[in-house]
Amino acid sequence: MEFTLLGSVAIAVVIMYGVLLFEGGRTNAADCTKDVWDALIAAVVVGVVIGRLTAMISAGTSPLSHPGDILIVRAGVDTIAASVAAVATYSFVTRNDPWWLADAAAPAAIAGLAGWHGGCIVRDACLGTPSDLPWAVAQTGSLVSRHPVEIYTALLLLVTAGLTIWWKLHRPRPGVVAALGVASVATARLVTEPLRLGLGGDLLWWYTIALVTALAVLALRLRRNTEKSRHPI
Amino acid sequence: MKKLVGAFMFATLVLVACGGRSVSIADIEPLEPTNPDAIQALLADSEQPVVLNVWASWCGPCRSEAPLLRAANEEFGQQVRFIGVDVRDSQDGARTFIAEFGLNGFRHFFDRDGAVPAALRGFGVPLTFFFAPGGELVHLHNGVIDERTLALQIDELLQR
Repeated sequence: MEFTLLGSVAIAVVIMYGVLLFEGGRTNAADCTKDVWDALIAAVVVGVVIGRLTAMISAGTSPLSHPGDILIVRAGVDTIAASVAAVATYSFVTRNDPWWLADAAAPAAIAGLAGWHGGCIVRDACLGTPSDLPWAVAQTGSLVSRHPVEIYTALLLLVTAGLTIWWKLHRPRPGVVAALGVASVATARLVTEPLRLGLGGDLLWWYTIALVTALAVLALRLRRNTEKSRHPI
Repeated sequence: MKKLVGAFMFATLVLVACGGRSVSIADIEPLEPTNPDAIQALLADSEQPVVLNVWASWCGPCRSEAPLLRAANEEFGQQVRFIGVDVRDSQDGARTFIAEFGLNGFRHFFDRDGAVPAALRGFGVPLTFFFAPGGELVHLHNGVIDERTLALQIDELLQR
């Protein structure tokens, strides 16, 4: 079953790279594709590792005595720790030109997330709470139709990725696109979280914090004077 | 920067060293031996849906899904009956596993030869079976189960 998880990861990575290649020379500087790609991959790897370690420690498993358990990602990755670690890693790697490189990465990162959610088809993990809507889907052998919540999320994120590319065409101030992208992703998760099944508490509070933070950053970036990028298009 | 990294690593070690959800092994009774007929009878007599997890203390992936099963039992244990079947293992290993992951919230059986999952047409470890009241098999999940799948299949049992 771990191979289906790898399938979803592969879809996410391919889409992420595809968007970066598309944007190179169009809405991103041609010479920043490699830098952004390297930073994104580093962020993804660090985020997953930290998220996995956090999930293990929270569950009472010592990563020092059972290091192999780190690889069993399917058993759970702490979303908050993973997202914080990924953002922190990306910010650190791109610290010499943070806002422009954040804008450069935003569409690819969001499209990659969309690919991860859409990869639910491979993992057979698309369904959420019961629904009577015409497009609701029942799993094989079941009479209960359900929201294809992961498909909803994937579609919302694809739209968001497209919007961030469109916004970049209007040459907004540095950081605006990234902030709008984070706000849109948080909104997409807030909207779909009630339709998602899980154990324990939900993450609505976390996505709300992300949304508020992104909007605050957006407001701050809109107030600053125009800055020159080291990666002009 | 080095101080920051050092502080982070120290904090990590402290977190790792802190107690998790484990219980004392002395509180874990030896597992009751079982066989396919006994399990089939238990499933047939159950008025609640049943989640039956096949595990072993030597099974790495079982370690990873154990916290999910504990959380699921804590959340749904009043509506769904959780059962563990330890296969091809030792009593000491089984009790240690249960103690380490705090799985004493639901009942576990000891199947030395692995006859139970074979009788239920499951192969390998871990396995998670989802049964409706009366013992009808609703779903069989092979391998490590993730949170979403576990939550979905439990919801399927509750919606029937």
